[in-house]
This record gives sequence, C-alpha cells and structure tokens, in this order.
Amino acid sequence: MATVLFKSRFYSAYQSEKGRCFFVDIQQKRVKMSFCQLLAFRQKVITMDLDAHFNGDLNRHGIEILTLCNREHLFILDTLEVIDLKMFVQGIFTMSELHTMVTV
Amino acid sequence: MKDLVRQKLSINVDVMDMLNEQIAREAHSSSIYLAMASWCDHSALNNSAHFFYEQAKEEREHMMKIFKFINDNGGMAYSPEVSNITHEYNSLEEVFESALEQEIGITKSIHNIVLKCRKVNDLTTENFLQWFIKEQMEEEQTMRNALDLFELMGTEGIALKLIDERIPGISE
Repeated sequence: MATVLFKSRFYSAYQSEKGRCFFVDIQQKRVKMSFCQLLAFRQKVITMDLDAHFNGDLNRHGIEILTLCNREHLFILDTLEVIDLKMFVQGIFTMSELHTMVTV
Repeated sequence: MKDLVRQKLSINVDVMDMLNEQIAREAHSSSIYLAMASWCDHSALNNSAHFFYEQAKEEREHMMKIFKFINDNGGMAYSPEVSNITHEYNSLEEVFESALEQEIGITKSIHNIVLKCRKVNDLTTENFLQWFIKEQMEEEQTMRNALDLFELMGTEGIALKLIDERIPGISE
C-alpha cells in the first residue's frame, strides 16, 4: 500500500507503507526510489537550468534529459514538464517538512 | 503515515543544501590558499608558502568534516567543482588581505547556516557548526596578526624578509 505524498499536474509521489521506499510517477512510468535515490532525484531537478530553456543559444530545443536510479530510467522532458517537476520536487519535501512539524 | 524522510535524514533538507554549498566554498578556499602558496614559493617567501600549504590542507579538512557529516546523517554530499582561482598578486600584503577577506566570507556563510538551523529547529547541525564558529574566529585572527606585521614593519627593503620569518608565529 502506498500513501500519496504530493501530486502536481504531471507527476505524483507516494510513500510505501511497508517497503520503506518511495514511488514517483513520471510519464506513465512508476519509478521506485530509496530515500537516497529520492535525494539524488531532487538534486538533479534543482540543478536543471530553467533559464536556459528561454535562451535559444543555451537550450535550443527546450528539452531536458533526466536519468534516474543509476541510469535505470531515462526521461525526456519539455519546458512545461520541467517547470512542473521543479515545483513537484519542492512539494514533496515541503509536505514531509510539514508532516514533521505536525507530529513534533 | 510514518515519516520516512525523518527516519532517513536527521538534518533539515534545506540546511543540507546549504552545507553542500559550504563544501564548495571550503574547496574553493583550499584551492585559493594553494595558489597563494605557489605565489609565495615563487617569490622565495618560504615560510609564507609553508603557511599557505598548511592553510590549504586545513580548508580541505573542514570540507571533509562537513562532507562526512552530511552523509553520516542520511543526506547526500556532493563533490564540488572548483573554478576561478587567481594566481596573480601584487604583494605579500595583498595575499594576506585576500586571505582575510576569504576567511570573513567563510565566517559569514557559516553564520548564515546557523541562523537557518535556528529557523528550522535543526539542532543537530547547529551543534555541529559550533566548532566551525570557533575555528573561523581563530582563522580570522591569524590573518589579522599577519596584516599587523605589515603595519608594524612596512614592506620596504629587508622588512619583507623579516615578515616572512615571523609568519610561523602568527597563529600562536
């Protein structure tokens, strides 16, 4: 069984009740992540240069290639998906932060 | 719902980001001191060169301390990239002035992380950073001691050689 952690327009994150792991739905694919992999995912998304998407020289095609879990998964994202992904990642950790505050 | 994030990570995730930035700053600092050591070596200022080699080593140790702390507490430390290191200085005084500026910058960023820890109640990291606060106070004082020598002795003629001879004693 998995509990919803956070949902955005394109993505959903769940927390496994038994498996001590997370699931993230990206482009019709469910990716299982350990916490360490979730942190690595977060870092990759944070370091994506969104400004480059609006600069024809830096990112001409406006796409981003995201590899996850030691290159086990590969996704190609467009600008809208990247914007949503950045908010999504922030949302996951904000929710867990709020959860900590409530349970203190 | 059990708090899996809290179970895995005992420090705040935003604080972890700041600590990773601090790792990069310490690495940058270490490389700057290495460049300063090289400049002093080429200018036949052997004691100053030795001093900056040691400083470079110390900054790397600081970096490793933070690196280990993040990983030991369930976070993810990132190996930093270092760029923009200058090797050009006009004088030994300028070298020490830059070193003091560098230390002041590091102190400020450590203080910023502590303030963030207080905001998000991350007592673990705040406690860890207390050592750095004291260390930075000493580092700044060492650089000021070096700059005092220039004020006392000037930089003309034999003074530079005499200052270099006194550099091993500035951290005492």
